[in-house]
Amino acid sequence: MKAREVMEIHSIEADVLVVGGGLAGANAAMGAAEKGASVVVADKGKIERSGDIGGGVDHFMAFLKEGPEWDTQDAFLNYVERVGRGTGHLSIIESLYCAELDDALKRMARIGNPLTQADGTFYRTKSMGQPGTYWINFNGKRLKPCLGRAVRGLGCTVLDKVMMVDLLTHEGSVTGGLGFHIRTGDFFVIQSKATIIATGNTNRLYENPRINPFNTWLCPFDTGDGQVMAFRAGAALSNMEYMRMTLLPKGFAAPGFNALVGMGGRFLNSLGEYYMEKGHPMGNRAPRYDVVFHTLEELRTGRGPVYIDCRGLETRDLSHLKASLGYDKDTLPDYLEQRGEDLASKPVEITVSEGMQAGPTEVTGSGIKVDRHSAATLPGLFACGDAADHNRCVHGAVTGGYKAGKSAADHARTLKHAARAASASIRGSVDRFMAPLNRRAGYPYRQIENAIRKIMAEHVGPLRTDQGIRTGLDKLARLENVLDEMRAGDLHELMRTHETRSLLQVGQMMGHAALFRQESRNRPYHHRLDYPETDNERWCGLVVLRKETGQVNCSFEPIVYR
Amino acid sequence: MPPVFDSEACMGCGTCEDVCPADAIYMETINGEQERPYLKYPDECWHCGSCRQDCPEGAITIRFPPDMLSI
Repeated sequence: MKAREVMEIHSIEADVLVVGGGLAGANAAMGAAEKGASVVVADKGKIERSGDIGGGVDHFMAFLKEGPEWDTQDAFLNYVERVGRGTGHLSIIESLYCAELDDALKRMARIGNPLTQADGTFYRTKSMGQPGTYWINFNGKRLKPCLGRAVRGLGCTVLDKVMMVDLLTHEGSVTGGLGFHIRTGDFFVIQSKATIIATGNTNRLYENPRINPFNTWLCPFDTGDGQVMAFRAGAALSNMEYMRMTLLPKGFAAPGFNALVGMGGRFLNSLGEYYMEKGHPMGNRAPRYDVVFHTLEELRTGRGPVYIDCRGLETRDLSHLKASLGYDKDTLPDYLEQRGEDLASKPVEITVSEGMQAGPTEVTGSGIKVDRHSAATLPGLFACGDAADHNRCVHGAVTGGYKAGKSAADHARTLKHAARAASASIRGSVDRFMAPLNRRAGYPYRQIENAIRKIMAEHVGPLRTDQGIRTGLDKLARLENVLDEMRAGDLHELMRTHETRSLLQVGQMMGHAALFRQESRNRPYHHRLDYPETDNERWCGLVVLRKETGQVNCSFEPIVYR
Repeated sequence: MPPVFDSEACMGCGTCEDVCPADAIYMETINGEQERPYLKYPDECWHCGSCRQDCPEGAITIRFPPDMLSI
């Protein structure tokens, strides 16, 4: 198709623009709309089923103040400090998560997807280094449809299937964004008093052990678009050096195995050894990065394949598991059945997932640097969910998303009107973002993406050195030179082409941050072979990235604990 | 290549196309009149199961490809 001939440009004004309508974005839209703001939400998919939990989810981390000493805010923040030392300010987590938690739990019930069981109680489990049963296991298969209905019911303008590609700025403030409809090619110019980035983490960035790059743990359509837009506009990012990994079934990157460990699943190697039970004082319930680190060691030393063994689970847990395994990934029961697996009778082979840009723990994030009010370092810009550096996971998206929405609405109220973008510059931007569609010849996005994934895995992966990272950055720079030579055959490929651009830029940010941090922290998420120890004297804090004269500039921001 | 569409049970409502987060499902016209879904980008399916959950006719099953079932 010749997009240039059929495309229309639509102009919309709103108090608040939310980029990304996943779990965080949908909660942000609710937070802003319930404060009276006019809201536009744009998403590449349809908000009822988009993002990491579009098909369902089964876990939410919370302290519930039900009595035990570990079930309090203080104990929770101690846990954050222990597993995430040097990766997040407790004061920000207190504001974005702890202070919002009660309201978040009530809100999920209010919209029709409570976190309780049918009898009104919470089903709680413990893993990942928690001092008590912080995971609430629940049926979240209708959570996104319920949120979608709530967002539309509040009168928000929802732009489904609209990919945002750039932010508008005016005199150093963010004043909205630009995007295109992936089916019609129409362009949207959204002018807003406040803009919230809620585009998730970055996937499809590392070589995938399951061959297909779209067979990822988290949503493969989350490609760091928002982080890149924010960085380009001048916002600071942090914690970008952490390459997150997790443990998943061998052939299918399905989440849902968290629950197995919480209920008593054990990690087993091919010599019949329960390797976490000898490798870590907390055993199978050690922090996630430790479990991944030890599993990588098992595989590296030839003790694979590795398995999760659920044969010892109690009958109560096994029957709960049978009913709930499809909550986190709707198709996981189909997969296990078609593969001939039975959790109750034999161990299931697992492996370490692909790498991704995401927070170093379940309680500290990676991405756009935010303060106690979810505000980024540019006026008018906010961030939440996995795209923000102090938000992570389901619990972070629900609490921090709503907080970002409220803060954005408050900011919007201080402004009379949104700044207007010059129409000439809009026209130029539209032509630039549509250009891959009009090229007669060029590289398909997959060719560039495959190279990015290989470079990232080989040079900015789980074992890093100064020389290796520099080599990776050189190679990424070579690819950057051909980004403008990609060709898209249709609008779907145009979307993927823009995603490829985001991937490359996220990869570069990760490389620069990983090079700068001369220590190891939360291994294997940032493991420097030339600086293998964690150095809390020098490096207890955030590596902050900013764009300066077109380059990635790194600085260090210490975190002080009381 | 999941999902698999049962074209007898399908009423052509387009819900699966609408909710697919991969933009992988498209509708096509069969026999000059009926609208039916097809998987245009099978490699990009995330197996999230949204199409199956939301199909009002229960016309979608999930069949995993041999690489995912064997490696």
